Amino acid sequence: MFLTRSEYDRGVNTFSPEGRLFQVEYAIEAIKLGSTAVGLKTKEGVVLAVEKRITSPLLEPTSVEKIMEIDSHIGCAMSGLTADARTLVEHARVETQNHRFSYNEPMKVESMTQALCDLALRFGEGDDESMSRPFGVSLLIAGHDENGPCLYHTDPSGTFWQCNGKAIGSGSEGADTSLQEHYSKDMTLEEAETLALSTLKQVMEEKVTPNNVDIAKVAPTYHLYSPSEVEAVIARL
Amino acid sequence: MVRVEEPAKGGFSFDLCRRNAMLEKQGVHAPKCLKTGTTIVGLIYKDGVILGADTRATEGSIVADKNCEKIHKLAANIYCCGAGTAADTENVTDMVSSQLELHRYATGRNSRVVTALTMLKSHLFRYQGYVSAALVLGGYDVTGPHLHAVYPHGSTDTLPFATMGSGSLAAMAMFESRYKEDMTKEEGMALVAAAICSGIFNDLGSGSNVDLCIITKDGVEFLRNFQQPNPRTYVSKRGYSFAKGHTAILSTKVIPLREQVTIEEGDGMAE
Amino acid sequence: MAYWSPYDNNGGTCVAIAGSEYCVIAADTRLSTGYSILTREHTKMCQLSDKCVLASSGFQADIRALQKNLDARHQIYQHQHNKKMSCPAMAQLLSNTLYYKRFFPYYAFNVLGGLDNEGKGCVFTYDAVGSYERVGYSSQGTGQQLLMPVLDNQLQSASPLLLPSKESATPLSESEAVDLIMDIFASATERDIYTGDAVEIVVVNADGIRREVADLRKD
Repeated sequence: MFLTRSEYDRGVNTFSPEGRLFQVEYAIEAIKLGSTAVGLKTKEGVVLAVEKRITSPLLEPTSVEKIMEIDSHIGCAMSGLTADARTLVEHARVETQNHRFSYNEPMKVESMTQALCDLALRFGEGDDESMSRPFGVSLLIAGHDENGPCLYHTDPSGTFWQCNGKAIGSGSEGADTSLQEHYSKDMTLEEAETLALSTLKQVMEEKVTPNNVDIAKVAPTYHLYSPSEVEAVIARL
Repeated sequence: MVRVEEPAKGGFSFDLCRRNAMLEKQGVHAPKCLKTGTTIVGLIYKDGVILGADTRATEGSIVADKNCEKIHKLAANIYCCGAGTAADTENVTDMVSSQLELHRYATGRNSRVVTALTMLKSHLFRYQGYVSAALVLGGYDVTGPHLHAVYPHGSTDTLPFATMGSGSLAAMAMFESRYKEDMTKEEGMALVAAAICSGIFNDLGSGSNVDLCIITKDGVEFLRNFQQPNPRTYVSKRGYSFAKGHTAILSTKVIPLREQVTIEEGDGMAE
Repeated sequence: MAYWSPYDNNGGTCVAIAGSEYCVIAADTRLSTGYSILTREHTKMCQLSDKCVLASSGFQADIRALQKNLDARHQIYQHQHNKKMSCPAMAQLLSNTLYYKRFFPYYAFNVLGGLDNEGKGCVFTYDAVGSYERVGYSSQGTGQQLLMPVLDNQLQSASPLLLPSKESATPLSESEAVDLIMDIFASATERDIYTGDAVEIVVVNADGIRREVADLRKD
């Protein structure tokens, strides 16, 4: 299989004869190596939960930042090459602030997601500012705007989907199946917190502690849970 | 002895010119004059002269007077329409009017239009255009009907029809297209009114009503507000009422009158 | 010495009044330069979205350029965000657009009127370089000095001196506000030479946008 690809998997802007862009597909593969992240939408708001891989007891857990605030009404969880995500988040923050400056109103979550995906596609175009390869990261974007709570999922190809619940990263297959079984549109935010964390727990190798997971909600503003708030959710499992 | 500042006899007082030039340099500007951005016209018809004027006086872009009189009387048989600075047109015509009166006493004859014309132009020329009066002078004397245009610098024209003021082009358009010699009184009045209306509607410096003045051998017909083509368009039926307390009282301080005056006992006021 | 100026003033007056559930925006239709009338039926208003109307006086060439710019920006906004721009958003955009030309300004004096996200009437008033404020009513243009004191008196200015502070929306009903506008435009026309010919009145409310025209003096 790899033999047939070898001629066409180097250039990011060359299609293979079968019509594929291998570098983009490889980037999507890179997500599957990342830590698991889960997002769930309820009528009250959206919950994000991520697994943090604390590879050494000497590592400071708070320095592993996998959920970030984009604007007061938007947060995002990431999986894959988190360094790439920082570029995307920075771009999204500039976009949302520009929107506030221009229109004196918060940006719609879909518009912001679209703006992010525009950047995700802007690789290999040659100018010094842009990336020479696709971003190797996938995002779960939680937000709240005039249409209510919403959750989006983006991948390195610059495609995005709106979801009620979604898991990304190494445990995404198992987690997605579990979410499909247990998710209900009428869940409360608290139930969603529990479901998100229990789903994460199923696919994590280590025991869940406030140190190795992060939880955030957008309801209707972004809030990253403190260790004691995470502890409270763990206690409900 | 107290010296009272009195206007000098004859001529203008120029004693503050140097001071004013200095103030101007420092950015202090003299108050603006009331200018009659105006349409004034006149024409000669079969039996005499018809003068016409609009009635708007402006102060910059503000209408200062909606129904002012711009046709001035110089003598029983001579009238003069004024455009330019209102004060200049009024004073220059008043001065000439007085001089003509004295001239009539001295000569015992009725005034002639050329006499008025000569007085006006010599005065205006002396002041080199600083007396900003543009006039249309018309009258009927022993030599027949006369119509003249007088410019602020002192030059004059003798014409069968004349227009002056900011609306002069609009008015002249009507004259040039419709004037003919030996018109009847009705034709003449209609044309003069049309010329003034042309100024009223197409020149922003002119407006409101039409004044006419018809001068013939037999006398003068002064038709004040001959036409009123611009009534107010809308009046609120609701009206305006001002409830007591409409103006907010921010603070109150009462000064009793008693402390300010001493009331002495005495007899009541005599019957 | 002969000189050329990039600006002209084409005169005219604009007014907007916000009520609790309506907004009335009005402007006369005379376009002039110096002592000449260029046209008697030129609209000074521009509908920027279904709930937002801009009325501007000043230099009409700049105003048209400004309207075109805002229209284009609104079109792009609709494509990007899949909705019409709200009046407060348009107000901020207009401010930015004006300030962007801080050192070669649009010679345009604007009042923006419409309904806000709650359906309340809103009026935004501007200077030429983008300073703006949300108010209950406003007036711009050559007749501004004549109209503003009447509006202050009739609409009970939300004066900072009066406490407790009042709502910025006026207490008048929609028909009373329209009547007031007809009357003050007739008054402004009596005394301002650049205002006249006709007044165009646009009413924005929950039912949509309604336009009416009333005659003014033509001298």
